[in-house]
This record gives sequence, structure tokens and C-alpha cells, in this order.
Amino acid sequence: MFDKILIANRGEIALRIQRACKELGVATVAVHSTADADAMHVRLADESVCIGAAPAKSSYLNIPQIVAACEITGADAVHPGYGFLSENARFAEILEEHEITFIGPTSEHIRIMGDKIEAKTTAVNLGIPVVPGSPGPVRDVGEGRKIAGEIGYPILVKAAAGGGGRGMKVANNEAELELALSTAKTEAMVSFGDDTVYLEKYLAHPRHIEIQVLGDGQGRAIHLGERDCSIQRRHQKLWEEALSPALNASERARIGEVVAEAMRKLQYRGVGTVEFLYENGDFYFIEMNTRLQVEHTVTEMVTGIDLVIEQIRIASGAPLTLTQDEIQFNGHAIECRINAENPRTFRPSPGKITHFHPPGGLGVRVDSGAYAGYTIPPYYDSMIGKLIVHARNRNECLMRLKRALGEFVVDGIETTIPLFIALIQEPDVVNGTYDIHWLEDHLARG
Amino acid sequence: MGEEREPPMTAKSGDFDKDLIRELAELLDETGLTEIEIEIEGRRVRVARGAKAVPSSFAPDPGHAAPLPPREGGSRGRKSEDASHPGTVPSPMVGTAYRSAEPGAAPFIEVGTKVTAGETLLIIEAMKTMNQIPSPHAGTVLAILFDDGQPVEYGEPLVIVERG
Repeated sequence: MFDKILIANRGEIALRIQRACKELGVATVAVHSTADADAMHVRLADESVCIGAAPAKSSYLNIPQIVAACEITGADAVHPGYGFLSENARFAEILEEHEITFIGPTSEHIRIMGDKIEAKTTAVNLGIPVVPGSPGPVRDVGEGRKIAGEIGYPILVKAAAGGGGRGMKVANNEAELELALSTAKTEAMVSFGDDTVYLEKYLAHPRHIEIQVLGDGQGRAIHLGERDCSIQRRHQKLWEEALSPALNASERARIGEVVAEAMRKLQYRGVGTVEFLYENGDFYFIEMNTRLQVEHTVTEMVTGIDLVIEQIRIASGAPLTLTQDEIQFNGHAIECRINAENPRTFRPSPGKITHFHPPGGLGVRVDSGAYAGYTIPPYYDSMIGKLIVHARNRNECLMRLKRALGEFVVDGIETTIPLFIALIQEPDVVNGTYDIHWLEDHLARG
Repeated sequence: MGEEREPPMTAKSGDFDKDLIRELAELLDETGLTEIEIEIEGRRVRVARGAKAVPSSFAPDPGHAAPLPPREGGSRGRKSEDASHPGTVPSPMVGTAYRSAEPGAAPFIEVGTKVTAGETLLIIEAMKTMNQIPSPHAGTVLAILFDDGQPVEYGEPLVIVERG
């Protein structure tokens, strides 16, 4: 096991990782920007190092400073959390060169899954079902028309280097394709410095269902069931559930085994998530996230397995000892992302939290670095915490969530809490009959 | 490394008198330093106290086969800093700070050294590269706030160079 882990992240996930380290008896090093000197992840770590100025580029994305922080503190491993450098293959490589363990998969696997076209090819080779689409980049309108005609409209134009919904355009018919291609290319160039785009079948009413996997890099891998993250806005997840209200046990076992087998073939190491669109009983691969995810908590609640502890154990070289038979799903869990945003316009609301009272009681978990008197810096994302509720079944879970949301007090800033209080009254949410467009349609209806 | 900062030192140029000495003596107690030396307009003041008992945690363990080398001056790993002084040079990076180019070589600066803008004040080692940290302005070294070989973080005050 490691002696000291440096956590190259901030906010609630830095705290979440510290908790796992402490339970494993491993010392922790927090890194932080000048804007985060008073942050909870800095206060609770065994050691901390200021690594740069407030902008993420100067601090949380600054590889030389993070490596230097490992050197001066003697940390023997780095946990990247999510976002920032968590899917940066070069970072993983540099750490390897400095004989510091990157808590994650190999840099090769990060690179493969980070390139959407290569990821899709790899998925096909591993037996994972994919969305029908162009076999590679689409260079011109002529080629695009031919391929789109074969797949059938509506068609989605996507940036190869894309993410977060940027560089994505829908063409409902051939007439719309030219404009969709050119705008997607322009957006991709501006956002990612790479205008490579490809085409995919556009699914009208899919759900977002993702499979959590855990592998040891030595050919053993299991799945930990699915999460339903269909309640999204602009491709940002807001509400996640485990298990999905849309799947039954045999569908779960089938897709879970397909993914676990793929991870065995890949010799994947650590935690990962294979994301799918799900429509009419079929799964279509979207991408694989080669890191811990924000919503890993709901899987932890229904399986009772600490994913971060398992991730660290595997990174330290231990084999996977959990077997698929040991993974039991108990009850239901829902996570709501509490963002410092106006609940109607979603405009960010940075500022000082004057009162902070998180809910408690049986089955209620709050992962957050916020506290009364904490000033949310304007430099990073707006998520200030996650409310996770677990109960014996989905109905009890919804009632508990309603109760917990009512207890949650965050004063001084605007948050998404009122949005969740409203959502929980909606019949489609109560019945679990929503797809990835449901929230945006609901908000548009007012 | 995120411990509480102590109150900053204050030393005004010009009022070179008993008050200043008294202030420096108080600072000595407050900061746990054994010596403070400042030079203003060619005049130099040094305030020092007799060698005190080294904290017990630094005493060689009698049962230890190879006792730790004695620490110079009994200084702490970290000193009080003055980030508010206009001549403060903060660390531009994370790394290990060294006062000289190589072990045994003369330090780049001492308290009282006159430096020109761009002159090397110290070296910070990070990722096996040696980074020369230049003085941002010409002036006189008023204080050196780090120990040779001390790990430093971004923004940590390293040296105070009084303009002039």
C-alpha cells in the first residue's frame, strides 16, 4: 500500500478521496490554488501545498507544479479525481517517469478512450454495441450525405475531440446536413483546436445508462450494475439513480457481463464507466470514462462497496478479490448535484455561503466541501456538493429525498435545490419515465 | 505545509533607531529566530540572542546508530514571512529552495547584499531542473525567509529586497 497520496483535485471529490485514504491509513497531501487556501480539502489534509494562481491552468492543470509537490512531500501516488488531469494520458506518463503511481488506468487506455473515434473502434473490437455511424472522420459534405443516407436521419454530427456537448449538431434531413457539419467543425476548432467530426445515428428518446466497472489490469474485471443519468441539461447530469428504473435484472446481467468481459479482454485497470444510450431495449456505446465519476456514490450506496478504496488498492498492485457473485444490489439510491446556480436560468451564483445546514438521518449522505462562511470562488465549476439518498426501494428513496431536500439549508447563494424539490413532484420523475431530453423539454414548457 | 501564518514582520526603512531595535527584538521572540540582520542606507543592525537549547525533537536519538547532523542555528523549518512588504519576492513555483548554486558554494545572497534587477537570488529545484529565481528589482536584501534545502510552495515569500 502507498505511504502518502497526493490528491490532485479540489472540492468535494478531494474530500471524498481523503476519506478513503484515511480509512486505508494512508497520509494525504492536498494541493490547492491561491483561491482555495481556505478550502475544506486543504484544511482536512495531513499536508497541503499551494501550487499556483487561481486559474486552473496555473494550478490544478499545472503538471510540473503537481509533480514538484509530490517531490517535496514525498508522495508516492497521485489520485486525480475527476475532471482536471484525470483523463490526461501525458500526466499519467510523466508520473510514471518520476516513479509516482497514477491512480487510474494505463496512459495507453486513457489515450484510446479519450479519442472518440478510436474509442468506438476499440468498443466494436471488444464486443460492446455501438451507435451506427461513420466508420471514421467525415471530410466533406458529399461523404457526409452518402453515410447519413445509409444510417438514416436524424443524424448527429460530433467532434472527435469533443465533450460537454460542444461541437455537436443535429441534422433532421439532408438539407440540414451541410450547415450542421460546418457549424460543428467551427465549434470543434474553437473549443478543441481540432475540427475532426464524425456522424452517428441520432436517437430520438434515449436514456443515458452507464455501467460501472472495476478491473485489476491483470485480466480480472467485474461490473457493479448501472446508473441512470438521463436527467440532464446541456449534456450535464443533474440527477442520477442506481439502479435504472428502466432495466430489469436479466437486462442488467446481460449488458453488465458484455462490458465486464470487454474489460477483461482490455486488461483494464481501476474504476471506469462505459456509457450507453438506451432505447427500445438496445444499448449504444457513447464513450468510456477512464476515471472515477461524480455519480459513483449511487453505485456505492446500492452495492455497499467503496469504489475509491478499491481503486487505490488496485493501483497499489493488489489483485481484484471481489467476484461478480459478491456484488449484490440492495435498494435504490438517487444523487442530486447541488450547484451554485439559479435554479431556473442556471446562471452561476458564486459568493459567500452565510448558512449551511446539510440534511441527515438514515440513508442520507452529503458529499460536499462547503461550510458556513465559505466563499465559492468564481474560477471553477459550480457544483458545491452532492446529496445522495438511499432506501429499500425507489418509492421510499423518493420520499426520503423529498424529506432531505426540505432540510437542506444553503443561504447566501442560489442553488439547484429548488429545482430538485420541483422535479420530485413531477409524475414522469416519480414513475421513472424520462429520457435524456425530458429535463430540457420540461424546463422549456416552464 | 498549510499551517497558520504568523503575523508579518514590519521594518520601515529610515527609522533606524531604538524603536526599530526593540521591534526587531520582539520579532525575534515572536518568530523563534535566533538572529535578524538588516541594513538600511549603509547602516546595519544585527539583533541576536545566545544559543538556546535545541528543541528536544531535534536532539540526536541516543539509541540511533547514525545520529542526525546538528541543525544550524536551531531554526525552524519555516520562518515568519512578510508577504505585505513591497519588496517581497514570492516563490513562482513549488520545489526545493537552495541558497547556493551547489553544495558548499557561496550563497547567492546574504542579508545586506546589494542586488541588481535580474540577479539570481536563489535556486528552486523542481522536477530535476534547477530554476534560477531572479530579483524582480534592484535593491538590498533585507531578509532571507527560507532555509537552504527547504521545500517551498507557490506564493511563499522567499526574500525581501528593499528597493533602492
